[in-house]
Amino acid sequence: MTGRLLARHRGLAWLGGREVLRVLKLWSQTILAPVVASFLFILVFGLSLGGRIKSIDGVPYEVFIVPGLITMAMVQAAYQNNSSSLFQARFDRYIHDILAAPMKGWEVNLGLSLGGVVRALLIGLSLLGLSLAVTDVPVRHPLELVVAVTFALVLFSSLGIVVGIYAQTWDQAGFVNNIVILPLSFLGGVFYAIGRLPSPWKEVSHANPIFYLINAVRFGFLGRSDVPVWLCLAVTGVLATLMVAWTSWLFATGRRLKA
Amino acid sequence: MCRCPHKRARRRRHPLANVDRVTEFPAPALELTGLTKRYDDGLLALEEFDLRVEAGAFFGLLGPNGAGKTTLISAVCNLIRVTAGDIRIFGHEHTTMEARRLIGLAEQDVNLDRFLDVEETLMYHGGYYGMNRPTARRRAQEMMDIFDLRGKAAVRAPKLSGGMRRRLLLARALMHEPALVILDEPTAGVDFELRLELWRYIRRLHGEGTSICLTTHYLEEAEELCEEIALIRGGRLLARDTASGLRETYDAGSLADVYVKAMGTAS
Repeated sequence: MTGRLLARHRGLAWLGGREVLRVLKLWSQTILAPVVASFLFILVFGLSLGGRIKSIDGVPYEVFIVPGLITMAMVQAAYQNNSSSLFQARFDRYIHDILAAPMKGWEVNLGLSLGGVVRALLIGLSLLGLSLAVTDVPVRHPLELVVAVTFALVLFSSLGIVVGIYAQTWDQAGFVNNIVILPLSFLGGVFYAIGRLPSPWKEVSHANPIFYLINAVRFGFLGRSDVPVWLCLAVTGVLATLMVAWTSWLFATGRRLKA
Repeated sequence: MCRCPHKRARRRRHPLANVDRVTEFPAPALELTGLTKRYDDGLLALEEFDLRVEAGAFFGLLGPNGAGKTTLISAVCNLIRVTAGDIRIFGHEHTTMEARRLIGLAEQDVNLDRFLDVEETLMYHGGYYGMNRPTARRRAQEMMDIFDLRGKAAVRAPKLSGGMRRRLLLARALMHEPALVILDEPTAGVDFELRLELWRYIRRLHGEGTSICLTTHYLEEAEELCEEIALIRGGRLLARDTASGLRETYDAGSLADVYVKAMGTAS
């Protein structure tokens, strides 16, 4: 059964394998660097400066920031990997080798997305392991955590694909990460609980989609979130679905990929 | 050059083309009907273009820059969106998986994956075309032997010399044993020695029954290799015939004279 499925979608398996191979070949840049950067946040903000903030809603500060930092590292990796890999393939035109091959649009879409997903998971698991070594971060709701992480990876892998297709320069590919994802992650409650913000910042924060994602992941780890977890998962799930619909349309029609 | 079916049937099997392609595919290798491509910026690159290339043919496309040669190839290989018209590869509509499997493309620009070494480049290409790992590995070894790339198996594409990259491009195009090979200026910018070497590969490939469509700016290359030549300009077919037929039609002493006369008439 699995063998037959693999034989029918062998191109997809090779393309996904190529994307993962790229991540592993560049491991110091794709895995090690973001793990070190995020772990330093945990050490500096959590264990060092965190001494000044005893706890948030009964959760020690060094534990409180772990879910948000893991989420931020994972979504940035999923986005960056796919946007840069696809943009590079377009820039060097080796995307033609893939577009000409006997693969359906959804297979190319999925294959190109897998690198970002695997990279994000490797970073997330590495950070979780390191966090467990220095903090007592629990996993209280594993099911919600898995669903939240799945939505996050789908959403940001697909966003990376969209930007990789639309970007005309490296600057444009980097712009979304530096000007959109990073600021929204910081403002989405990685380091603080939104409930503690004064009005109107508290209400404004509810317009930030990453706020819902971080709270969904935080609920999975700590069992607490600023808004109900079903709302967090619903918002993230709808956004992920919309992004997948966008990439599917691009690959089905060839818009922007093919002149 | 004789194109008798009985001669083709006697062609021997060779690793470059492991089946007798001419008897395998009765339909034309390439059939374009009313092919039109207008780019988003309004440029009309091809207009109502009709072309039929028989299975087993060695067909040349000649024309100046901007004539529509690369657009035509890109349309056939699903690299651009077609505005109107029909493209068939051995009878299959060009977007189908069957049609895609039958085409091998070596583009004018060196578009190799910078993250893969020579062996991986070939294996992953084979994989995209449905090969399993052992088959892809075996075929990659074969291609590296044929194209003298064995010594560079573990070298990434950006570290190869220009000549090696050209060979790798051709090896990649042939990796999945296509029945129709499209070569877009395969000898552009290479030295004379490598050009002769590439000609030898291409001739051998055609000798085994693979259909070949070649674009080139080198008139002597077209005359030397192609059984039939089409002259195109401004997205339109000006003439097609054998080299001698074209010389006769245009009352010219050489293909260069034919080219000058044909392009002069068209402008």
